[in-house]
Amino acid sequence: MTLPKMVLVTGATGLVGGGVLRRILADDLGVEVFALTRDAAGWNRLANALGVLAPRVVPVRGDVTLPHLGLEPLVRRRLELQISAIVHAAADTSFSRTLQHSLTVNAVGTENVVRLAADCARLERLSFVSTAFVAGRATGSIPEADNGCLAGWVNAYEESKYEAESIVRSTGLPWTVLRSSTIVCRSSAGDVSQINAVHRALRIYHRGLAAMMPGDRNNPLDVVTADFVSDAIARLTFDPRAEGKTVHLCAGRNALTLGELVDTAYEVWAAEPAWRKRGVERAMITDPETYRLFEQAVHQTGDPRLRAILTSLSYFIPQLALPKVFETSVAEDLLGSAPPCSREFWLPMLKQLLATNWGHSVREAA
Amino acid sequence: MTRNEIPKKMGPAIAGISYAFPAASRSVAELGQEAQLTSSAETLESFGFGRVHVADTESPYELALTAARKVLAETVVDPATIGLLIYGGTPGSMSFAAATDAEEAARGLCTMSRFKFPATRLQYDLELPNAWTFAVDQLSCTTLLSAARLARSLCLTEGIERALCVSSEFFPANAGREAIFNCTSDAACAVLIERDGERNRLVSATNVTKGYYWDVDALRDEIVASYFPTARHVLLRTIADAGWAPGDVDWIIPHNVSMRSWEILSSLLGLPKARVFSENIARHGHTLAGDNFINYRDALDGGCIKPGQRVVMFSYGFGAHWTGVAVEA
Repeated sequence: MTLPKMVLVTGATGLVGGGVLRRILADDLGVEVFALTRDAAGWNRLANALGVLAPRVVPVRGDVTLPHLGLEPLVRRRLELQISAIVHAAADTSFSRTLQHSLTVNAVGTENVVRLAADCARLERLSFVSTAFVAGRATGSIPEADNGCLAGWVNAYEESKYEAESIVRSTGLPWTVLRSSTIVCRSSAGDVSQINAVHRALRIYHRGLAAMMPGDRNNPLDVVTADFVSDAIARLTFDPRAEGKTVHLCAGRNALTLGELVDTAYEVWAAEPAWRKRGVERAMITDPETYRLFEQAVHQTGDPRLRAILTSLSYFIPQLALPKVFETSVAEDLLGSAPPCSREFWLPMLKQLLATNWGHSVREAA
Repeated sequence: MTRNEIPKKMGPAIAGISYAFPAASRSVAELGQEAQLTSSAETLESFGFGRVHVADTESPYELALTAARKVLAETVVDPATIGLLIYGGTPGSMSFAAATDAEEAARGLCTMSRFKFPATRLQYDLELPNAWTFAVDQLSCTTLLSAARLARSLCLTEGIERALCVSSEFFPANAGREAIFNCTSDAACAVLIERDGERNRLVSATNVTKGYYWDVDALRDEIVASYFPTARHVLLRTIADAGWAPGDVDWIIPHNVSMRSWEILSSLLGLPKARVFSENIARHGHTLAGDNFINYRDALDGGCIKPGQRVVMFSYGFGAHWTGVAVEA
């Protein structure tokens, strides 16, 4: 009898982790998964979502931020003996946290996972789910490698993930760093199950509450679907060629420009008579200095709502003015296909947001 | 042809501008001490405001009459040649509050005081027997620019020789002196437009009204956000309609709102901040409808604007209107 391959997935209740888990189970009937979850409610949600796949998942109560992942000693010992692969997808992906908070979850959490990985005698792969934006304020062509830290970062999330990558790289373990671009929807159908900073920003512009954004119309803006990222992680976790590689799960050269993304958004909104009637002027793409003046003026006025809006945008909007193209040659070589084109899902995603009033009608219906 | 070789062009033009301020004024710091501001005095000072004019004893009509008499005296025109008088300002001669019921609406309409119009009184006091007289209303700070546009159009289409546009705007006593981060002054301004002028020709005008923003209190943040893209759009259209490129513009004559907002707008237009005539923001504050023409007059008197230079005036009025007027000096 062949023993099943046992994989530990952290962050299994999240968009990417959950997707990876489903894909791993669907791809190989010989795989079983330990899913690290913080509480019973999280596991129940996951089990419901998994349906018939749920019996092949063993829930493990724990927390990446705790020493020994907060695992009971016997459970930990079992993991050490049985695990052959770890997909570490657990992270606090909020852009607005303090650096201390982000480091605690994303870097210390990774350190704790790495410690477990080091004790796993059968470990063949530690897949670390990172972000392409560890490149931070760097511009130009971003290689699939350690990009250094000289450029600095736009937010604490980017910095904490860079630190976490460094932790993973410094181990002698068989690691793969899988860097996701910004995820804007689940699939090419444009379905949005989790509202993130990009969606919130789009809502602000749709409501006419922001006048401008820094950047240049021709700057590429890389966005992808969760399915693309999850499927790639699931495949590469079991691909021997991926060991020691850093892989960009990005649109890369197929990314649309900021101007194209913005134009499409306003075209979708303008098709709605009620929105058109309001006569909301299209937000301007400006140079960073003009945008900074506008930010300063709003902060000086002390208007609490506008300040809150600009603050919420400030955690990622500077990236719009930092043009970068993520190289994808390693990913293309391993996956055997060209990166996805954002055009396929950006338009359906916008329509989905509008149809569900940014998820409100979905939540209300639920 | 160089810019100094100005061809003889004739057309509707500004023949004269005069203004009148009340006798009293207050510094922004004093207004702060008198609890007349919503923001701190320091914030408003950082936006460029220094001093504003406050009518302690004068009425809006008195100032309107003073400004109008001055412009007629300075231009020495025959009052009989003025075929049009357009008035705008306090009190709104045609505005009325949305009544909550029919009885209240009827009460508001039943008094004869409603017909004591400042426009017709001005026509009488100024002795303008041939002036077709009416008022423009609900245009807030764009009133005088809009009146000038209207006068230009009527001069062209109806052959009116001269038109007098007068605005007089006051903030009611104790109503405070701040309108969303702008420090306001009481003032009147009179502009004489003539059909065939060679200097200060009104070359083009643009008005954009966005009724969505009619409820200023409820949509305050949306208005702040929409201000800049719409202002840029209106200014560019005004410049293009004049047959100019943005780089051709020698001066922007602003409404006297926050200097910070003009820094942003000039940057959005790709024009140096130095081309915005901003000296009056600190001296006079925001005189509501009068700003652009008061500033134009001061810029002419101070030798800033030279003959043939290309000037664009811009104003925004709550309600919501964006207006631009291009002038060849």
